[in-house]
Amino acid sequence: MTVPAAAATPPRPRPPAARPARRRASLAGLGFVLPFAVLFAVFLVWPMLAGLWASFTDRSLARPDAAFVGLANWRELAGDAAVWRSLWTTLLFTLISTPPLVAVALAMAVLTQRVAARLGWFLRFSFFAPFLLPVAVVTLIWTWMYQPGFGVVNGALQAVGLPEVAWLTDEDTVLAAIAVTTVWWTAGFNYLLYLAALQGIPGHVYEAAAIDGAGAWQRLTRVTLPLLRRTTALVVLLQLVASLKLFDQAYLMTAGSGGPNYAARPIIGYVFESGFTGLRIGYASAVSYLFFAVVVAVSVLQFRLFSRKEAE
Amino acid sequence: MSATAPAVRRTVRRTPRRRRVTPVGAAATVSALVLAVLWLVPLAWAVLTSLKPEAETTAVPVRWLPLEPTFAAYRSILARGDLQQWLVNSVAVSTAVTVLTLVVCVLAAYGFAATAFPGRRALFALFLAGILVPPQVLIVPLFDQMTALGLVDTYWGVALPQVVAPVFVFVLTRFFEGIPRDYQEAARLDGAGHLRVLWSVVLPMSAPILAAVAIFTFVQAWNNFLWPFVATNDPALMTVPVGLGTVQGAYGIQYAQNMAAAVLGALPLIVVFLLFQRQVVRGVTDAGLK
Amino acid sequence: MRTTSTPPPAAGPGRRAFLAGGLAAAGLGLAGCGASAAGGRTPLRQWNLFTGGDGARMVEMHDAYTREHPGVELRPTTYLWGNPYYTKFAMGAAGGRAFDVATLHASRLRGMGAGTLIDPVPADLLAEYGVTRDDVLPNVWDKCVVDGELYAVPLDTHLVVTYYERGACERAGVLEPDGSLVATSGPEEFLDVLAAVKEATGHFGVVMDTTGAWRQFWSLYRQLGGEMTFDGGLGLDDDLALQALDFLRRVCDDGLAPPASDAPGTPANFQNGIAGLMFAGNWELPTFQTAGMDFGMRPFPGIFGAELGQGDCHVLVLPHRRTRDDRAVRTAVEYAAWMLKNSIVWAGGGHTPAYLPVAESAEYAELRPQAEYRHAAEDVQFDPEAWFSGSAAPLFAEANSVMAGVHNGSATPEEALARFRRAAERLIDTPEPV
Repeated sequence: MTVPAAAATPPRPRPPAARPARRRASLAGLGFVLPFAVLFAVFLVWPMLAGLWASFTDRSLARPDAAFVGLANWRELAGDAAVWRSLWTTLLFTLISTPPLVAVALAMAVLTQRVAARLGWFLRFSFFAPFLLPVAVVTLIWTWMYQPGFGVVNGALQAVGLPEVAWLTDEDTVLAAIAVTTVWWTAGFNYLLYLAALQGIPGHVYEAAAIDGAGAWQRLTRVTLPLLRRTTALVVLLQLVASLKLFDQAYLMTAGSGGPNYAARPIIGYVFESGFTGLRIGYASAVSYLFFAVVVAVSVLQFRLFSRKEAE
Repeated sequence: MSATAPAVRRTVRRTPRRRRVTPVGAAATVSALVLAVLWLVPLAWAVLTSLKPEAETTAVPVRWLPLEPTFAAYRSILARGDLQQWLVNSVAVSTAVTVLTLVVCVLAAYGFAATAFPGRRALFALFLAGILVPPQVLIVPLFDQMTALGLVDTYWGVALPQVVAPVFVFVLTRFFEGIPRDYQEAARLDGAGHLRVLWSVVLPMSAPILAAVAIFTFVQAWNNFLWPFVATNDPALMTVPVGLGTVQGAYGIQYAQNMAAAVLGALPLIVVFLLFQRQVVRGVTDAGLK
Repeated sequence: MRTTSTPPPAAGPGRRAFLAGGLAAAGLGLAGCGASAAGGRTPLRQWNLFTGGDGARMVEMHDAYTREHPGVELRPTTYLWGNPYYTKFAMGAAGGRAFDVATLHASRLRGMGAGTLIDPVPADLLAEYGVTRDDVLPNVWDKCVVDGELYAVPLDTHLVVTYYERGACERAGVLEPDGSLVATSGPEEFLDVLAAVKEATGHFGVVMDTTGAWRQFWSLYRQLGGEMTFDGGLGLDDDLALQALDFLRRVCDDGLAPPASDAPGTPANFQNGIAGLMFAGNWELPTFQTAGMDFGMRPFPGIFGAELGQGDCHVLVLPHRRTRDDRAVRTAVEYAAWMLKNSIVWAGGGHTPAYLPVAESAEYAELRPQAEYRHAAEDVQFDPEAWFSGSAAPLFAEANSVMAGVHNGSATPEEALARFRRAAERLIDTPEPV
């Protein structure tokens, strides 16, 4: 699920900078922060540091002791084709899943906004309900739909005279098949974000456009889409980070195998495999940090891109 | 990352316009309905398969409606008993995560918004940085740590790491900072302690944002797969997504039963959504967007 | 599968409090639900990787076990064969409270952490329940011993064998008067048989899992007398390995076997009559019995010498425990002994019982076609010894992926061997995690 991004709108917003002057210094505040701080330290900071340390050791799941091995894990990582292959799989999935996840959600929202209000309930249910399904339910259904022979997808292909496709067992189609499933499953979240943004566009904007003689298409391209730019930026950012975290559906739809010739093993899949299947906690920690670096890099890059656009 | 988020206000509503049936409008309605029906196909296919006798599921060519509808698959799944246990676990874990998240995040946010203490800014910055850490990065070292603490295959081991959601501390802090201080100051002058101010001044004014955080957290915990999958191996402790995703039937793949399990596993949140659509939509949007 | 509605006492302190707290908070008032008493019965959480025919037989045995053990609450769990199972096994054992007894492949004992993740089996306790070294074939028992300590109780031996469909073989004229497949010696004689059967089926002579070529390769390589060692580098006889790989290439090149046939497809191809012979694990047997086919089984053919076939043993092991629990260990050991003594049911799935009193019983001798290949189990060819070797282990996966190319013609035996060497060297260079 996507991580929420920013502060809520308070009843009467004021610039936060005005606050601290009126605070009375005391230690009571520390008590309020303490419970969260303890959990934060134990379940986030500690494992972060422990993982960094482990990446310089040969720590194993099946051995109590661990020895310092210097940069051995990092050197191995640099030369491990499986690391780069799975990182590429993650990036490829992000590239092929993000555009449809944004475009489909936008189309859904625009359509919902356009049609009669009494259909809204049905559309919101239909588009958003898949997002509420646990991932295992989604993969059970789609693995069954992709089944060769008696699956409904191949059934439809055959009904119109096309040949069957071995969706999940062909290395050329498996990642695309997982991306299609992901679009179905999570487009509903982006859809809600777009819907909220659309509802925030005042009606007089459209009326003004209509008076100027703009047709429905022009109203969409000249008014709606430009006004949604900030929302699109947010949706793309959230979606990129969510897609980079691919693991659950890829693992379940390939029965933990990574797919034919590992064509659907994302970088987190490789972390899982080297750490828990291969028992190598130290090495898997190093690969985790590589993934972390990629996520941070993408976030920073995006932040810069978007803030420049905003400035223009 | 959060600074780029637009503050979309839902208060400004599109003024209703009189609509005539235009060709464009009709086309939009038809497209919307086609897309919506297409989107429901997988769910419909799952439900219809679950009502078939096992032998009918693999018939070629594909047949949509069961010839002899039966609840046999549901009976088999319920007789196994696993799913009921997983549902109980999911309810317990998601509820605990939601309650604990609310409590610790609200306390921390109040601490940051309404009090001053040494290191306040540094600590807030540290928590902010925590938002950047995807939980996926931590699975391996965290599992290692959990084995050391003896928390693998316990409810606490599943739940506690999910409570660390620095983003909600940030969201709530910004919200609390926006509440006019006059109310709090007045309460303080009346001799109320911080806890009292939080409880009787701040929280009542924050109901919508608290509901949004609660709904968002609950849905997230209910559907979380990776950490519960790593932290639980004993099927008696698994949540719905983990149990459905890992435990196999001894007789191999049986599609009607798989779909019956999928339908039962999907049902709780779908029912909640049907009953409280408006609140869920608002909760997810508010916590996700604003 | 049995219900899991009762929580295991080993799940740790706070479990009930947590459930009660969580549920009370949810306002469901179900606080007591997760805590229904087991009525003093000892829980026994068993993990296995069996589905299909093996799964059905394990359920049958468990039903009998439960009838005979009213004081034990048996809770079996099945995970997906291969890495998903082994991953959960390692994580559950590392956590130290997930299960009480589990199935495993003997070849994986070392790689799965015998001594750290797997606890030793108390041999005296096992003897108390009637199983000692004398009751098991020596080669099998030795496979269960690591560094002088017993770590596993062997349930069966299973290996790759030859299946033959009598109709096609009859038409091809390769059946003895008693209905068994003719014995052959040397590659040419066997290829003649395949050519005759191909003629009879109109498609192929033999079908085998081309995505699991390690089994075929290791069988042939061992028939040639090949050894494989990993001390300080890969010790492998290139000439013999190339001979074995070239045979795999040749059967497909000559059109005697399909160049691509995956694990589920192979028995289906045999059942559909696309080939009259099949090389596959003995565990496919129930499928064809259920289908009512007229077929026989014999050991993997002696193409380069004796009729040696690659195989392994299913064993029962005790996971490492976080806190000592003698009662659980005793229950688990008794269960393991009971499974061995009742393994005649298990033999119905094609596996050869490891427990000699069953394997030598009249009842087992009467099982057909099991009796036709039972002696092959005495000479089963285990995978080479290394932490990365064994069923579903990395070496097995690498070999399968590389050698599939020999079957389908995308790689020459020389290329495949070179790639296998590289993969094996990389595994040898990987720091040992156990």
